[in-house]
Amino acid sequence: MSAGNIAIPVLLGISAITTVVSCVALVLMHDVFNRMHFLAPVTVIAMPALLAAVTIQEGWGQATLKTILVFFVLLAVNAVLTHATARAARVRMLGQWQPNPKEDIPGTPVAAGGGKRPNTQ
Amino acid sequence: MNTWLVSALVFLFTLVPCGIAVFRGTALERLVGLEMAGMVEVMLLILLAESFHRPSTYDLALAMALLTFGVGLVFARFLERWL
Repeated sequence: MSAGNIAIPVLLGISAITTVVSCVALVLMHDVFNRMHFLAPVTVIAMPALLAAVTIQEGWGQATLKTILVFFVLLAVNAVLTHATARAARVRMLGQWQPNPKEDIPGTPVAAGGGKRPNTQ
Repeated sequence: MNTWLVSALVFLFTLVPCGIAVFRGTALERLVGLEMAGMVEVMLLILLAESFHRPSTYDLALAMALLTFGVGLVFARFLERWL
């Protein structure tokens, strides 16, 4: 049994398990922002594993090149769609995209009294 | 039944949780389920193309990836203000 015969099922298993876990976790989350986190593993882990499996199976050919193209399209699609969905969720909640001056965003320094943020430069 | 087909079957069943997500929650939570289903379908088409040795199906996967982008963006834009 060659290395390729072992690597392909392993890579396909990684891809399938990542997708199953992400999809189940997506259902279990009850918030749009929490749900969006589980879009990333499918693009960043499952798709490269599938690409590697196709590359091992087919070698450098038409199928591999098309799969590489699909991978890069999915990478861009995931980033843009996640941002667009998060933006839509924020606008629906607050009525605007821009941060409220008095809004306390976790992880960012806010001046006492809710004014301007301190100049860190 | 080869490894690719078994993997495609697993990917097909992952559409069930995506379907459940699409039927539950607020409009934007449903949209995330739809986006996930689109990405799973793209990978499913690649697996089916490989298992049945149909190179033309790779083009279908590429078209599906581009359509997922359009669908998600249009829904997100409309849900932002008008729906």
